[in-house]
Amino acid sequence: MRSNRKREPLRLGTVAKALVVCGAVAVAGLSYVYQKNQLYRLGDEVKKREATLLAVEKRNALLAAQLAQFKSPAYLEARCQQYGLGLIPPRDSQVVRLPEPGREWDLAVPQVALVPAAASSGKPAPVKKLAKKVVVHR
Amino acid sequence: MTLNRQQTRVLLVLCGVSLLFTAFGMRLVQLQVWQRDELARLAAANRERVVHRQGRRGKILDANGNLLANSQSVRIVVADPSITVSNATTIARQLSPLLGMDEPTLVAKLSGAGRYVRLKQKVDEETATKIRQFKFKGLVLEDQFVRSYPNGALGSHVIGFVNHEQVGVQGIEAAMDNYLQGRAGYETIERDRKGREIRVLREERLSPRDGYDVVLTVDQVIQHIAEVELDKAMAEHRPQAGVVIVSRPQTGEILAMTSRPTFNLNEPGQAAADARRNRCISDVAEPGSTFKIVVCAGALNEGRVTLADRFNCENGAFLYAGRVLHDAHPYGVLTVEEILYHSSNIGAAKIALQMGPAKVAEYVRRFGFGRKTGVVLPGEVSGIAHPLNRWTKLSITRIPMGHEIAATPLQMLMAMNAIANGGQLLKPMLIRSVCEPGGGPVLKYAPVVVETPITAQTSRWMTTALRKVPTPQGTAPRAAVPGYDVAGKTGTAQKIENGQYVRKYYSSFIGYLPADDPQISILVSLDDPAGGTYYGGSVAGPVFREVARKVAQYLGLPAQHAESETQVAKL
Repeated sequence: MRSNRKREPLRLGTVAKALVVCGAVAVAGLSYVYQKNQLYRLGDEVKKREATLLAVEKRNALLAAQLAQFKSPAYLEARCQQYGLGLIPPRDSQVVRLPEPGREWDLAVPQVALVPAAASSGKPAPVKKLAKKVVVHR
Repeated sequence: MTLNRQQTRVLLVLCGVSLLFTAFGMRLVQLQVWQRDELARLAAANRERVVHRQGRRGKILDANGNLLANSQSVRIVVADPSITVSNATTIARQLSPLLGMDEPTLVAKLSGAGRYVRLKQKVDEETATKIRQFKFKGLVLEDQFVRSYPNGALGSHVIGFVNHEQVGVQGIEAAMDNYLQGRAGYETIERDRKGREIRVLREERLSPRDGYDVVLTVDQVIQHIAEVELDKAMAEHRPQAGVVIVSRPQTGEILAMTSRPTFNLNEPGQAAADARRNRCISDVAEPGSTFKIVVCAGALNEGRVTLADRFNCENGAFLYAGRVLHDAHPYGVLTVEEILYHSSNIGAAKIALQMGPAKVAEYVRRFGFGRKTGVVLPGEVSGIAHPLNRWTKLSITRIPMGHEIAATPLQMLMAMNAIANGGQLLKPMLIRSVCEPGGGPVLKYAPVVVETPITAQTSRWMTTALRKVPTPQGTAPRAAVPGYDVAGKTGTAQKIENGQYVRKYYSSFIGYLPADDPQISILVSLDDPAGGTYYGGSVAGPVFREVARKVAQYLGLPAQHAESETQVAKL
């Protein structure tokens, strides 16, 4: 029987095809496993981040409440008294009120800004004083 | 054909194997087909869990975005007694100092019936971390939101508070509960062998949503100023109660609203019910002379009188309908303007007589008396303004001086605002906007004109007269604010107890400034001040002055005239 069988020559193309198919299946399988692992790993990562976010939000709410307490007028007054700062609000007679700047002020600003910097000297261009300083007397 | 022994054995083995596989097959059919639903449910219940997530309750902010109320996450320590029963004594010994509970109580809870027992609520994060480190089986730390009010008692009657279920029961917390409440969500999670969540298998069914933030018109600095000055007045005059409201007459915005006694928002249960009541909207009283503004404004508006018209004030005693009406001081002939700033009861009664009862009743209604102002806060009352058919013959002389009528402090302030702002009765505004959590507004509130009881011209005439009240000629020289033109009206109303007028008084002052272009209006009312002084100008006037001076300073309102050195020195 054996002697009657004709030995076929090895077909490289067929082998290559088979190898490619096997390789593709192996790659697909491994990729699937890898992707699955990645999914689970990222899931864990997301879970950790969620826990961190929750903790940060909690802390944020706590700090917001603390900040509100520190900013409250009662607390600020108490601290002023504690440190003897002698702070009082300025009276109306101690405040200089300036009129709302008009159109000439709007025009003046870009002109000042557009003046090229004194490049040669390396110094910035002088900015014109457009408004008086608000003076608060004690 | 006979089978030999070997073939028989093979046949038997085959039959046995066939039977075995048939049995396995039957069992599989039973598990996979007949009992499929039930077993699938049991399996899912074993690995799946529905987790409820609470949406955070929205914040309450003042007009400048300062936090007045927010929700903070704390922990609840929960035990499963079916697991903790075996180790109850050890767990109780360790937890007792951390939770501040005695050991026998803890042991009883840890070894009791059921599978869910709350050991302690509102546990802070630090304590929770310590408890977690013990790794006791059957002990769980659950999340819980609690309401926090960083300013304690500041604005307590306006802000209100929530109950244990985080549902608003008073103030803005109750009025805006639908917006403030977050929406709870839930999701299905799957757990691994150790009970940890497998994140990738999480199925979110309904995401939780945080509640909306509510921005008030109240300014916490102005609120503080009002409360400090009211506290000073409470200490000085020892009244039973006190009220201060600050508003913007042009828009009806409430900048501050406070009443005494008060309570700490973080411990509302510790305060008496009386202290939790917002007297600005829930208490009615006869307003007294402040009500003269309604009758005089009505008469001027109808053209029945002018400011220069003169009335005989009968030297302090006017007999009408068999009863004598008195003035605090005897006056002869007074103009309408003088009647207002001297606060003559007889003069006001004669102006009302000239108007006629129907017109008086009409203006009482048009100024908003006898009905709610529509402020957003719960618990507002309408006050008492009898219809014309229930008036007695005396009513026409009593109502102009603020008797036979009852109003809330807020109603009185809104009526004064109508005079200050050119004649528009506005709905009081307490809420500026409703915002997305940490985002932009979804709802904005605008001033609402309820009615226009008087014309702008009448408003100017009234202001002319009311400007003289806080002067040495008027009834409230102590209400004058250095540097500013103030218009206002005093009120001193006798209280009624058991149907009789008694020697107890409501002292009040309502005013606005600057008189020509009013930016703020303030009401001060003290219920039964002790110490012999009870006139509105003497008791409430100075409180008005201090609140007005500080608020004007804070808002940067330009003064109309320079403060004299004497005035500055006094400050």
